[in-house]
Amino acid sequence: MTILGLSMITEQALASNAELGDEFVQRLQRAEPSAVAEVYDAHHAAVRAFAKRLLGDAASAEDLLHEVFVSLPQAVRKFRGDSSLRTFLISIAVNHARHHVRAAQRRRRALSAYGDTRSDESSDPEREARRKELAELLTRALDTLPIDQRLAFVLCEVEEYSSREASEIVGAPEATLRTRLFHAKKKLRLALTAEGAE
Amino acid sequence: MSKDLLAEATRALRETEPVSESEARATRTRVLAGLHQTRVRRRTRLAFLLPIAASFVAFSAWAAASGQARRVLDQFEQLVGITASSTGNASSRSSTKTSSRRLATPAAPDEVRSPDPAPLASSREAEPAPAATVVTRAASSARATASSSSAPDPTLALYRRAHAAHFVDHDPARALAAWDAYLSAAPNGSFAPEARYNRALSLVRLGRTGEARTALEPFANGAYGGYRQAEASALLQGIAP
Repeated sequence: MTILGLSMITEQALASNAELGDEFVQRLQRAEPSAVAEVYDAHHAAVRAFAKRLLGDAASAEDLLHEVFVSLPQAVRKFRGDSSLRTFLISIAVNHARHHVRAAQRRRRALSAYGDTRSDESSDPEREARRKELAELLTRALDTLPIDQRLAFVLCEVEEYSSREASEIVGAPEATLRTRLFHAKKKLRLALTAEGAE
Repeated sequence: MSKDLLAEATRALRETEPVSESEARATRTRVLAGLHQTRVRRRTRLAFLLPIAASFVAFSAWAAASGQARRVLDQFEQLVGITASSTGNASSRSSTKTSSRRLATPAAPDEVRSPDPAPLASSREAEPAPAATVVTRAASSARATASSSSAPDPTLALYRRAHAAHFVDHDPARALAAWDAYLSAAPNGSFAPEARYNRALSLVRLGRTGEARTALEPFANGAYGGYRQAEASALLQGIAP
């Protein structure tokens, strides 16, 4: 963990404490719609992006997002302000992800069997098509990984969390997370090569 | 090469196009609706469960304090039709219950509804503590069941007769005959364990130690649970040849 990274986390924690005063936490615990809506408006984009990158499926990502914010009043009782609220929300998403990963895999299999008919509306069709193809390729490769390795890869490589932050999110030691990441990358490289995408 | 491809694919995944505003709003609405439903469910649960829990606690306290628990439970069983007589599975029920449970379940005649306290009082004076306890227990059970049911039970009259001969008249011969009469009429009756034990006592008093030993052995061996086990063992040692 670099000094810069540590100071970033400290700043985030301070910001989260300021962001979540006792009164606000109590409002969240009471599941007051205005409080939850406030958190949603501030953080839904980040949580949604993470969910979509992890699951590779927009519909499953929306379901996971919904679950995260509905369970927030219950989960916020465990929030101690050690990390930012955003990181806390991501950790809730991680805890609920297993079921959604399986659902997204099923959906992807069905789509590949019957053909995805969604149109691609992009300003640069060729580039966008290549980008989309690579993203889908990686998502399919991620489907072959165990959930722990998948989480490690998405958090560290795609979301670009430091290994320390990622280890806090998944609740595993940093060394374990690094090992998972190492194996994940190795398997993904093999999978991408096997697909012959190049 | 594959390393570059992995990096490129990772970048591509990171640059996934953002979700449309309308989709984000739809999920926001779904979240708030979900929260509302959760709150409504919690309130409804509380609105139903709290009064039920409070009533149950109050009822339990009242029943324990007033000693009416057995009576009310019997009435409830009758109300929902799970009494031994109405279900027809009395044998299976009685076999699974302890003797103390069996003491309270059957119906009692009207005549026991206002029991004569005299036999109880005299029995306490006349008999050693264990026997007196049996009668007190039997009589109190009879009182509890008597008030809970209006169905007559002729075997209880036989029991009262045996009880009077044993504890009031102190006539072991007549008591033995009366206990036998009760047990032949109700071998699995409410007070069969008490009757068998008192019959054994009568046999001891009459000096019929062989029969007394046969009658006491099941109690000493725990055939009736812990009921009179210690006393029966002591008596068996006392009448040993």
